[in-house]
Amino acid sequence: MAAEATCGAGAGSTGSLAAAVGMSNVTSFQRRGPRVGGADSGGPRLMSIAGTRPSVRNGQLLVSTGLPALDQLLGGGLAVGTVLLIEEDKYNTYSPLLFKYFLAEGIINGHTVLVASAKEDPAVILQELPAPLLDDSRKQELDEDIYNHKTPESNSKMKIAWRYQLLPKMEAGPVSSSRFGHYYDASKRIPQELIEASKWHGFFLPEKISSTLKEEPGSLTPGYIKLLQFIQNIIYEEGFDGSNPQKKQKNILRIGIQSLGSPLWGDDIFCTENCDNSHSLTKFLYILRGLLRTSLSVCIITMPTHLTQNKAVIARVTNLSDTVVGLESFIGSERETNPLYKDYHGLIHIRQIPRLNNLICDESDVKDLAFKLKRKLFTIEVRDFYVSYIKG
Amino acid sequence: MVGGINDPPLSSGGGGLWVLTPSGSAPGETRRKSEMLDSLLAFGGLMLLRDSVEWEGRSLLKALIKKSALCGEQVHILGCEVSEEEFREGFTSDINNCLVYHDLFRDPLNWSKTGEALPGGPLGALTAMCRRTDPGPVTIALDSLSWLLLHLPCTTLCQNLHALSHQNSSLGDSSVQQVRVLGLLHEELHGPGPLGALSSLAQTEVILGGTVGQASAYILCRRPQQRPTHQTNWFSILPDFSLDVQEGPPVESQPHPDPHTSLVDPMTHLTFNLRLSKKEREAKDSLTLPFQFSSEKQQALLRPGQGQATSHVFYEPDAYDDLDQEDPDDDLDI
Repeated sequence: MAAEATCGAGAGSTGSLAAAVGMSNVTSFQRRGPRVGGADSGGPRLMSIAGTRPSVRNGQLLVSTGLPALDQLLGGGLAVGTVLLIEEDKYNTYSPLLFKYFLAEGIINGHTVLVASAKEDPAVILQELPAPLLDDSRKQELDEDIYNHKTPESNSKMKIAWRYQLLPKMEAGPVSSSRFGHYYDASKRIPQELIEASKWHGFFLPEKISSTLKEEPGSLTPGYIKLLQFIQNIIYEEGFDGSNPQKKQKNILRIGIQSLGSPLWGDDIFCTENCDNSHSLTKFLYILRGLLRTSLSVCIITMPTHLTQNKAVIARVTNLSDTVVGLESFIGSERETNPLYKDYHGLIHIRQIPRLNNLICDESDVKDLAFKLKRKLFTIEVRDFYVSYIKG
Repeated sequence: MVGGINDPPLSSGGGGLWVLTPSGSAPGETRRKSEMLDSLLAFGGLMLLRDSVEWEGRSLLKALIKKSALCGEQVHILGCEVSEEEFREGFTSDINNCLVYHDLFRDPLNWSKTGEALPGGPLGALTAMCRRTDPGPVTIALDSLSWLLLHLPCTTLCQNLHALSHQNSSLGDSSVQQVRVLGLLHEELHGPGPLGALSSLAQTEVILGGTVGQASAYILCRRPQQRPTHQTNWFSILPDFSLDVQEGPPVESQPHPDPHTSLVDPMTHLTFNLRLSKKEREAKDSLTLPFQFSSEKQQALLRPGQGQATSHVFYEPDAYDDLDQEDPDDDLDI
């Protein structure tokens, strides 16, 4: 059964709870026009959706991925109607974190959240979301990290560029006053009342597929068909595609699909060499993208692409997704003991950024990115190997 | 031999840290015999025993079965590759009485139609085990997963293994797993696809190997919210299927890449100097920078007339210079 949290309170209580975490509903640029509270307001209401902001480059509506550093690398955020594909690292240690940050950002902003997994119960996944860092505790965290970050160097004062002594050593994060991206504390869990006040839907494959259905060749695996039908129903019933014009307030649907393509979904594209139904996954992505483009939703998918050596499959999957980010952790590889890599836990590769209504895409100049998971924060930094090596 | 990595958990939900103590600090001493087995059996979920032709894993599987039976757990065995008599060989009678054996070896396709064979073949046997409703901790041994992989589609096997190893885990209790599934896998029989798929499902992976005369187990443990940890143990199995953990072979025979040689490499071919000798560092520190506002400069500025030169400007007008500041066109001949 799809576990639907029946929340009686709509945007009102999420607004009050969200205010408790220091969030505001508007961007820093506010259009003077008809108030958006009215039900018959004909003015543009896209800018008033919580947790979104228009891109500064082309006006595309963006949502945050939950990691402000990743937002900056993707050109401000994730565009509504697109798919973010995360290529999992080998032991699946860090990709669940990005998945959870995305969902937690949805809960904090009051978006509707849809979690699909073949491995874990979605209710369990939601319990394990990280807690948001409130404003003053976030500053405290950053200051603490600055203080702890290589203390021998922080003691040596700069002689020539002494004006820069006062600048923080890390990116300070979003400067704007609108709370577009939030910071999360990976060591704490999200408060239970936030989950209960939010609207979420769960899709747990073993509960939906009770018998082994015989699939027809050339079509999607039964698990994928069920998931697509589930998503389509939610989009239609809750009006994310504009089909319910009486709806008061537009909202974003955040979809999270965990480990798509793994054998637990019934798809053998990653575990056999010449599988019979090798187009099931690509068809799924194609149909999913069609659903997303016609609704106010955004999707994150994690995929264990490390299981296959077949570059054709990976290339097809990459082409069918919009934004592709790959994680490569150093666990178990020879880089773990290499002193050059000791400050970081892995590399992050931005493999693709979409060109939406554009001829060029917002690629950042930096290609050499590494991530590390500190005690509480997940940071992405430019690889700084030689400098850290010199300082010892 | 790599010691375990003691890392903080990624979230606060995982059950405790698993601290691995590296074994073998005193040569020649037979260390805690059961510690390796204890650490392997401490967690539930799927444990994959990957063996090969040279280093067989069935004896380790039987050692683990014996240990779980001695702990009082229920043990179910799905035997596909060897006959029941051969599997039970070596166990004492009280252990043999604890084992529940499901035999797929004698009549896998149910040809004899005597009703002894398991209904539904291998898939039926697995799903029957999934629907087991007895409470309490249970160990299920699959001998072997390779046989099942060859007879079932990989996805079906993965889904059933996942369902099997996650039985009885309720919402708030996912850290304590009641079911332990031991699967023997002959890694030479399969390609990287199925091996990778099963590895990603397993909570613990034991890869058997070794050098001349001594078997080793490379244990990789993946707890759900924590970083994977790995260690290598050298062991041998005694005839009564108890485990004897040993000191590894001497270090000189192990071709470990020396980490210190790679330390020097990045820095040898640079065209600039990254290191300062002590004298250079002292000279650098004592250098006064031009825009540095030191106390000497401050004193000099505060006391201008004390022998320090006040600046004088000496100006000698040139022939073309205009001394009259007011009329700029003075030198024009109009």
